Amino acid sequence: MIASYCVPGYFLVILPLVALAYQIVPRQHRRKLLLLADYAFFFAISGKLLIFLLVSTVSIHHIGLWLESFQTERDLAVKGAERSERKQIKAVYKGKMRGVVTLGILFHVGLLLVLKYANFFGSNANALLGALNLPFSLPEFKLALPIGISFYTMQALSYIIDVYRGTVKPDRNLGRLALYMSFFPALIEGPICRYSDTADQLWAGNPITYRNLTFGAQRILFGLFKKMVIADRLNPLIQAVFLNYQDYDGGVVALAMVCYTCQLYMEFSGTMDVVIGSGEIFGITLPENFRQPFFSKSISEFWTRWHITLGTWFKDYIFYPVSLSAPLKKLTSNARKKLGNHFGPMLASGIALFCVWFCNGLWHGSAWNFIFFGLYHFVLIFCGNLFEPFNQSSLEKLHINRQGVPWRVWQTVRTIILVNFGELFFRAHGLQAGLAMFKKIWTDFKLDAFASGDYLVGIDVKDLIVVIAGVVFVLVFSILHERDVSVREAIAGQKLPVRWLCYYGLILLIIIFGAYGQAYSPVDPIYAGF
Amino acid sequence: MEELYEILEELQPEVDFKTATNLIDGHLLSSLSIISLIAELEDAFDITIPAVEIVPANFNSADAIWALVQRLSEDD
Repeated sequence: MIASYCVPGYFLVILPLVALAYQIVPRQHRRKLLLLADYAFFFAISGKLLIFLLVSTVSIHHIGLWLESFQTERDLAVKGAERSERKQIKAVYKGKMRGVVTLGILFHVGLLLVLKYANFFGSNANALLGALNLPFSLPEFKLALPIGISFYTMQALSYIIDVYRGTVKPDRNLGRLALYMSFFPALIEGPICRYSDTADQLWAGNPITYRNLTFGAQRILFGLFKKMVIADRLNPLIQAVFLNYQDYDGGVVALAMVCYTCQLYMEFSGTMDVVIGSGEIFGITLPENFRQPFFSKSISEFWTRWHITLGTWFKDYIFYPVSLSAPLKKLTSNARKKLGNHFGPMLASGIALFCVWFCNGLWHGSAWNFIFFGLYHFVLIFCGNLFEPFNQSSLEKLHINRQGVPWRVWQTVRTIILVNFGELFFRAHGLQAGLAMFKKIWTDFKLDAFASGDYLVGIDVKDLIVVIAGVVFVLVFSILHERDVSVREAIAGQKLPVRWLCYYGLILLIIIFGAYGQAYSPVDPIYAGF
Repeated sequence: MEELYEILEELQPEVDFKTATNLIDGHLLSSLSIISLIAELEDAFDITIPAVEIVPANFNSADAIWALVQRLSEDD
């Protein structure tokens, strides 16, 4: 079974069947049906590896109850104690709860490290041992990875940390936690949900309404358009150039880089439209993962608009806890007195940022090019923060208006260029290939292939025209969204013939211009591999 | 409250903290400013601000920050 939401088997068979069954069964059984569908979906893709999801779910349930027992004991002890003793009692229980939550974190992170990164660390350790001429090596394991492990592990960690912090009440109901961990539309590529956002919605078993059904279907259609008309159509060019970059000049490599950035956005955001639209059908509001990222004016803003649920996860569970840890707080306090408000907190935030971006790179995959991708963004964001006062004073001296259109356009263009170079390393077959491609763009840039037409690798002019028209279509929607215009509400407010003309129009566009059939190989779901 | 205004104005003089109600949502306080602000608040009011309290609701206005400081002072 193909692990993708953009295949007819999903949106024409699985989703309608589950939705139909969900609507038919009595309300109190809908949650059971949904859980059955989740587990059947997982089993169909990952088979017996379902055990990992089960173990993860049972373990967070147990940890939640464990933390709850300490919370109850602590509250009782505090109630009966003198005011002077309360602080001490709280500190004792905080230590115990910290021990429990640390155990839970180590278990989940350890499982992920073993399953996803054992070979990466092993092969690098072996290379190091070989270089040192040491006569032993680590065994290599071929471990199968359960689908969506990187996503549901983040959900598991956020649940136990939130219970520890007291922002979420421990859930005694194993079924509700299991539903939270495994909602099938979000299982493969996220979004990374928080327990407080989705658990109750999933458990409620609300009926499917006409509005939810049509709004969900609209969103799915728009996602399929992005994926099938744009991302899949660009695939032959990207595959060919990234695989045999040596055969092309820097101009074609640069084109492939731009096409890949476009493909990644259309594929991932398109899949998210299908996922969020699927949730909408069941009346479940899943968190948004994209907010017009290519309108960002800096790399740090870009990451508040691209893969939002991953960014907020790292901010809430790594950036702030690290930068506000006791040693770093002390460092900030001392540094501020000597270096001032801007440069004072820079070291602590730099350490926290490094942790975030190292983990972000590693999360995307067990290869050096992903780690490089993470550290590339760390350097850009850190330097952006560091040089902000210099940047500001330079603009003032040059009499450049920071709010003026030319400067804002330049900021946007600059951000898009920097994002493209990051994605080049992200897609490259290894770090060496990424560096070689980067070098080619700067040292072997020619326009000959564009003059002769040789730049069209694996695609033709018609494909290119369809892609450009598709990008313009998506861009118009993005501009309207950026201006807070809801196109979906506007369409829903029209009379029936106009509404259905829009829906059928979009379906026809996908059927006519979608890249499917024997002549095309659709791009695999990129984030499913993470 | 006056002490809080002084801290905030020293941190970011260009922002009118007496009227602003979207310090986080409006990107007036960056993550870097928040780290500075927390260090300053902890020193000035002898409190500990845990990471869990860093949510927009607690930092969107001077009033919200003041309410957080008072709550944490009582807890301590």
